[in-house]
Amino acid sequence: MSLISVDRVSFGYSRDRLVLNEVSVEIRAGASIGLVGESGSGKTTLLRLLLGLTRPDSGQIRFDGAALETRNGSFMRDYRRQVQAVFQDPYSSLDPRQNVLGIVSEPLRSLRIAGDRRAMVEAALVSVGLEPGILGRYPHEFSGGQRQRIAIARAIVARPRLLLADEAVSALDLSTRIRIVELLKQLAADMTLVFVSHDLGVVAALCDEMVILEKGRIVEAGATRRILADPQHQYTRKLLGSVPRMPA
Amino acid sequence: MSAVAAIARRPRTSLTLWIGLALVGIHVAVALLSLVWTPYDPTGMTGGRLAPPSWAHWAGTDRLGRDFFTQIMIGSRIALIVGTSAVAVGALIGVTLGMLAAFATRLLDDALAATLDILIAFPTLLIAMLVVAASDTASLGTAVLALGIALSAIVARLTRILAKRVLLMDYITAARTSGTSWLGIVFQHVLPNIWPTLSVNFALQFGLAVIAEASLSYLGLGAPPPNASWGRLLQEAQGTVYTAPIGAIAPGIALLSLVIGVNLLADGLRDIADPTRRVSR
Amino acid sequence: MSLLTIDGLNLTIDGKPLVSNLSLSIGPGERLGLIGESGSGKSLTAMAATGLLPRAILPSGSVTLGGQQVIGAPDRVLDALRATVAAFVFQEPLTALDPLLRVGRQVAEPLQRRARRDGRALAGAALNREVLALLEQVALPQPERIARSYPHEISGGQRQRVAIAMALACRPQLLIADEPTTALDVTTQAEILKLIDGLVRERGMALLFISHDLPVVAEIVERVVVMRKGVAVEAGPVREVFGAPRHDYTRSLVAAAKAFDAALEGTP
Repeated sequence: MSLISVDRVSFGYSRDRLVLNEVSVEIRAGASIGLVGESGSGKTTLLRLLLGLTRPDSGQIRFDGAALETRNGSFMRDYRRQVQAVFQDPYSSLDPRQNVLGIVSEPLRSLRIAGDRRAMVEAALVSVGLEPGILGRYPHEFSGGQRQRIAIARAIVARPRLLLADEAVSALDLSTRIRIVELLKQLAADMTLVFVSHDLGVVAALCDEMVILEKGRIVEAGATRRILADPQHQYTRKLLGSVPRMPA
Repeated sequence: MSAVAAIARRPRTSLTLWIGLALVGIHVAVALLSLVWTPYDPTGMTGGRLAPPSWAHWAGTDRLGRDFFTQIMIGSRIALIVGTSAVAVGALIGVTLGMLAAFATRLLDDALAATLDILIAFPTLLIAMLVVAASDTASLGTAVLALGIALSAIVARLTRILAKRVLLMDYITAARTSGTSWLGIVFQHVLPNIWPTLSVNFALQFGLAVIAEASLSYLGLGAPPPNASWGRLLQEAQGTVYTAPIGAIAPGIALLSLVIGVNLLADGLRDIADPTRRVSR
Repeated sequence: MSLLTIDGLNLTIDGKPLVSNLSLSIGPGERLGLIGESGSGKSLTAMAATGLLPRAILPSGSVTLGGQQVIGAPDRVLDALRATVAAFVFQEPLTALDPLLRVGRQVAEPLQRRARRDGRALAGAALNREVLALLEQVALPQPERIARSYPHEISGGQRQRVAIAMALACRPQLLIADEPTTALDVTTQAEILKLIDGLVRERGMALLFISHDLPVVAEIVERVVVMRKGVAVEAGPVREVFGAPRHDYTRSLVAAAKAFDAALEGTP
């Protein structure tokens, strides 16, 4: 059964210009799926809908079979416990005035998760490849890659079933990027991953499946291998053709 | 480019903090001292009228022959009470309103923003006078309340702008997806991040409040006698400023040193409270 | 004679080195890529090349641009150099354009400056014609409409084309492009790269292309210099450096870039 099912969801800021137009996606538990699109494709809006930050104009999103009730506090608390996110810019996604312990433990505090929070934070830091001894330090003391690891630690500290990543490696340097992709891949072994990106190379390296969005519509969806080897839609072909490659 | 930013963020020495602390400390000490001891009885005629400074009267005497230094000591008490309480009232009302506006829906935000702009267009003193006039008797309490309400419009507008900027940051979205409530977002993220700028503003307003109280006192709307506020001293010295300039200079120096001290202290506190200004290990 | 020669350049801030002993040269019509990650000093190097360094950063060594020593030169000389020899295209076209001026006006400015330098007046219909011709050269559709638009009314790719048009207006011999496609979509990036490639070729301009993105650099330049923490660790023709990197750092970059390529080929 699908962990998340997006059923004919539409969203628009005005009636004549839809950001998302009748989008349907099924995300199996355990899958790692890339939502690929350029600016204006609606991929970020789809992610916000999945995060329950925005409600669709029409259509429905179901999690584990239950419709997403963004206005139901107790439902959302349970949902947030199972669905966490990593954002693009590691320089703005960490509060500069909180230390690492404060940042990473935020979901534990806010979702009132019982247990030894400090130990849970330390465990999360270790699983993203950071020293547990950095709890008292502040974001500005870390590099971009380390900051993104801290952000990932925050996302996994409550042991969610679904991790949503929004261009989570786009702001990073190449050598850092590949290491964060490897980390996410490793984490995706134990949870479902939805990776939103414009970068086909990263999605290809990370996701088993992908969904290609253009101007609010899904133009192609399926196994990553199949789409890369045999793109059906003209836009997919254009996208693939535009990716610069290393000289042979 | 990051190198350029690093220069701008170079941690400053804590010299400002120490000077500010010393200036404010002196005023607090003098104010406390005045509760138990003053050189003379503040209401007693202890010397000649308008005597110049001497060993007996460090700041001379006023036109009734009362010791001027004693009056200034008592005045520091009033200045500290009025400044602190007015800023506290202004901060409480202003931060609450500004935060509400920042979180509000577009329509409510626009309405609040327009109201604040209108309020700010009124002179602080005029608002304060209206508040005092609305209450029956003039007292230190009504003066504080009046100044606090007058200052709150400026605080509210600043809070709204600063909070809106913070609300755009990804860490706010991250907090929402972490399950943090709106109230939690205000206290854990927004307030700590806008506090440095707000506190510098509060320090400026402290000075404004002390000076505005002087004006209210002059109009008979401030602290009633025998509370000798610096403002009253300044106003009383007006007529004799050429013959006995010390009457204006002494409370002026007292006022200036307190306002500068509070500003330096606020700057210094902001610097040590900001983790990004600390030298990293 | 080379257009830009950097010889033993050191940049320091508060005595701390930002760029150390860097040397490179670009001859007329040559294309050089400056590769580096954040903090490598690649952008600072480009700013030093045109005398645009912030005051807090102290340069030493030698930078000659169009035969003129840049380090220590007065602003008047540098202004002339920047107007005739080298022009910049930046990463973020939105901040490079004035939000309050119509695109046509902004493109007209460098055109008029060049005309004044050549000792001719340019205004009215003639100026208008040149603006539209320039917008056409950077392959903007409906140049009349674009010229009348404000920067926020056109797309990111179109804005970058306008920025390129403004750089071309001075007829520079050297185009310095600092991450010009990083903020753009991948399909737009491909178009802009093609545009820069074509313009540089047609006009015989030299190109200094600064980027962190190896495959992008590989598409557009002949030689590369790889920088890390202010030091050039490797330099040479693209095929040699990317084909058989000698320095460990270059090797790790090339391996990372090739890993993403391999994933796209379906051979991870």
